[in-house]
Amino acid sequence: MGAILKEYRYTPAKIERGYSGKSLYINVADLRIEEKEVTDFMKEKFTGGKGFDLWYLWNAVTPQTRWNSPENEIVISVGPLGGITQYSGTGKSLVCSISPLTDIPIDSNAGGYFGPLLKFSGWDAFELQGKAEKELLIFIDGNNGLIEIEEAEEYPDDAHLLAEELTRKYARDEDDMVNVSVVCTGSAAKHGYMGLLNFSFYDPRRKVVRFKQAARGGLGTVLNDKKIKALVVKYKGVTPNLNNAADISTINKVGVKYHKQMHDLDSKQNAMRQIGTANTVMIMSQYDLLPTRNFQTGGDPEVVNISPEVFINEWLTQGLHDGCWYGCTMSCAKCADHFLLTTGPYAGDRVTVDGPEYECVAGLGSNLGIFDPQAILEENFYCDTYGIDLISFATCTAFIMECYQRGQITREQMGGLDLRFGNSDAVLELLHQMSRGEGFGRLAGLGIRNLKKIFVEDFGADPQLLEDIGMEVKGLEYSEYAHKESLAQQGGFAMATKGPQHDEAWLIFMDMVNKQIPTFEDKANALYYFPMFRTWFGLVGLCKLPWNDIVPADNHKTDSPAKVPEHVQNYVDIFNAVTGQQIDKDELILQSERVYQFQRVFSVRMGKGERADDYAPYRSLGPVSREEYLSRQELYDQQLRDLQGLDPENMHLDEKIARTRSYREDQYEQLMDAVYRRRGWTSNGIPTPERLKEIGMDLPELLEVIKPKL
Amino acid sequence: MIKVNTDDYPWQSGMTVRNLLDEKVFTFRHIIVRVNGEYVPEEEYENHVIQDGDDVIVLHLMAGG
Amino acid sequence: MKVLTHKQELCIGCLDCEVACSQTYFKTNDRNYSAIRILENNKTYRARNCTQCGECIDMCTANAIYRDRNGVVRIDKKKCVGCLGCVGFCSELVMFYADDLEVPFKCIACNICSNACPTGALEVLISQVKEN
Repeated sequence: MGAILKEYRYTPAKIERGYSGKSLYINVADLRIEEKEVTDFMKEKFTGGKGFDLWYLWNAVTPQTRWNSPENEIVISVGPLGGITQYSGTGKSLVCSISPLTDIPIDSNAGGYFGPLLKFSGWDAFELQGKAEKELLIFIDGNNGLIEIEEAEEYPDDAHLLAEELTRKYARDEDDMVNVSVVCTGSAAKHGYMGLLNFSFYDPRRKVVRFKQAARGGLGTVLNDKKIKALVVKYKGVTPNLNNAADISTINKVGVKYHKQMHDLDSKQNAMRQIGTANTVMIMSQYDLLPTRNFQTGGDPEVVNISPEVFINEWLTQGLHDGCWYGCTMSCAKCADHFLLTTGPYAGDRVTVDGPEYECVAGLGSNLGIFDPQAILEENFYCDTYGIDLISFATCTAFIMECYQRGQITREQMGGLDLRFGNSDAVLELLHQMSRGEGFGRLAGLGIRNLKKIFVEDFGADPQLLEDIGMEVKGLEYSEYAHKESLAQQGGFAMATKGPQHDEAWLIFMDMVNKQIPTFEDKANALYYFPMFRTWFGLVGLCKLPWNDIVPADNHKTDSPAKVPEHVQNYVDIFNAVTGQQIDKDELILQSERVYQFQRVFSVRMGKGERADDYAPYRSLGPVSREEYLSRQELYDQQLRDLQGLDPENMHLDEKIARTRSYREDQYEQLMDAVYRRRGWTSNGIPTPERLKEIGMDLPELLEVIKPKL
Repeated sequence: MIKVNTDDYPWQSGMTVRNLLDEKVFTFRHIIVRVNGEYVPEEEYENHVIQDGDDVIVLHLMAGG
Repeated sequence: MKVLTHKQELCIGCLDCEVACSQTYFKTNDRNYSAIRILENNKTYRARNCTQCGECIDMCTANAIYRDRNGVVRIDKKKCVGCLGCVGFCSELVMFYADDLEVPFKCIACNICSNACPTGALEVLISQVKEN
């Protein structure tokens, strides 16, 4: 199609014990291509995956680097366990960059085939730096040791067309399609800050290219800013032990045990093989935890229209393998086939919709007051193909809708769009505007933090109200869990290093329903252990879901069923079996903590890693409005009595709201103190030199950043 | 009075585990029930009668995201 | 489709079938490499081998399992990535694997064991194909 601007030949490194030992660097401004050594230091301190990404990114940027500076990088890495075929969820790549929404490092994980095929092509990590003059396509041929950089102006912008075309371009025949994977964004990434990265994989049964997403933080916006149209990798010949594991027998044994467990128990537990992550929608609503109308309430009677049964019976193809990498018998990436689009540039086409995931049903559904499964699926499709993070889009649109509902912005100011809760037509039109960069679509993709400023300064909105209802921390929008009554989850979101994503902690039931973590110390311990454990997956190439979205039959007999000890042991065993190391469960946490603390210091270095950055909007902590207070009046009045010794009978509603607020805000401050202590941070949220030394991360560059802050 | 997940809860003579789960609207299937530390399997929910003063734990194993 | 069947009343538990299978396909006299396993219970013998039910076809994570023109369920070695999902999912526990093999293996109703059987307990029969 376009001219080949550069060709680079290399000898693909052989993988030993999960590592190829080499990383790829490409500068798209001068087309420089370099091979770097993956050192023992890197493996010891950073393990792989997100760890490698952050290390390379740290060395590429300065504290002055912004997301659109040429020296900003997108780094992709899969980690030492990535690409094994015998267990479930073993194909996850982590991607890092400086985020357009937060100005600090974002990390985002994605399934699909790109990461493992990249490693099999000889690369433990892939750094992209610089900005190209014209749009480029980068192709890596791992069988022939060839990298091509090609002019890419002629290719389509939207992901479902682009990835299909590129997969066909590089595959020799139908059987070869599974050997190609594409990373790309979509047309909306040109216009907003919440552009995502699509990671493709070919589905040989459906004969379509499908996607998983590295969605959070605006990585697609960075890709577009660098004028990179797509990254393509091809590797033919996936076999069971390309990682050259130290002990294939253990991997096989643990894998078969896990597959059998999946076969026997999934349908009795979470039915992941039938519905995927959206299996929790009804439960969340029944427990008053499904975010509804910008997190105002926890559910709605109409949720029954978007229940798992509706999607299973009417929309999602059943019975086919739906894993996003080989070997995943959790098989949770469901899709709606032959879905007829009714709006936008592809109206009239029948497409495959990858989803809906839980976040999609909760975010693009109930959080927008929409309870129509067909509309949700169409919104899901367009977010994916336009390259829009649907979590940020959903939470940001929910904010816009509430501002409109409360008279803070007018329909005129939205270019005539009637963006009230429940209006799915307006939501779809907004998505199309974001793709074209027209109308209100030009603003809607900038994110809540920027919109708050615009609404206040340009539209005269009430700054305090917008601060209270704009669900973002550090510039990143919240993911889709109502958590007003869970202090632990409030901390889990707002104190998370990159912003309020739930990958670090999901403690809502443990806290609110099971009441397992009543004291500040209990919560702080949970907000130490779970973030450390849960972020370990991103160092090694694994998906978190197989850890606890199914549990062994005797899990209830263990001391700590929430930790699913048998599965933790599986991961220790597999890690040792691949790498030849001898870690235990404690060492696993230590590996994770090294990178966790490094990321916190990196955020401090970039300007947002201190106490002042860890506060939540009040909508996260408690009832902002009278309607919210009244929706849970019994509970809140009882708390005024029990916790503050007040008499709600003799208090005006606004006073009750104010007293509840001051109590909860104080509780949150106390939680911060306890969590910071437990994490080895100062009372200002800075990792201490003592803690860094304890875990072997007292690197001079880290000490240099924290010393002035102590 | 009984305890349910550490909170006080009114007791009724003859209430079974199933009655309690229905009253509390604990509809989530993936739970572990222990009464006074003893595990009660799902088959027994209809039959297991809760006594006054019992300490009931209904652990929800919600994986979340 | 072709299916290998076993008559308990004729079986004397000599295991010649296992030897014939593992020897033919893996050049070793080792029952861990046989696609038929004879289980003994109080001097009666039961055979475990693939019934060609085809449950593994749709769940295969590499789309590598198919029915051949005899209705026999086969693994395409070129597509299989050795994930062992079929081994874990087989309800009959008759998909087998070994650590030194790249792909799992199963009974393909080839008649080698039935020809080796001294009592005629084993027979490949034609039965109705299950549509997958």
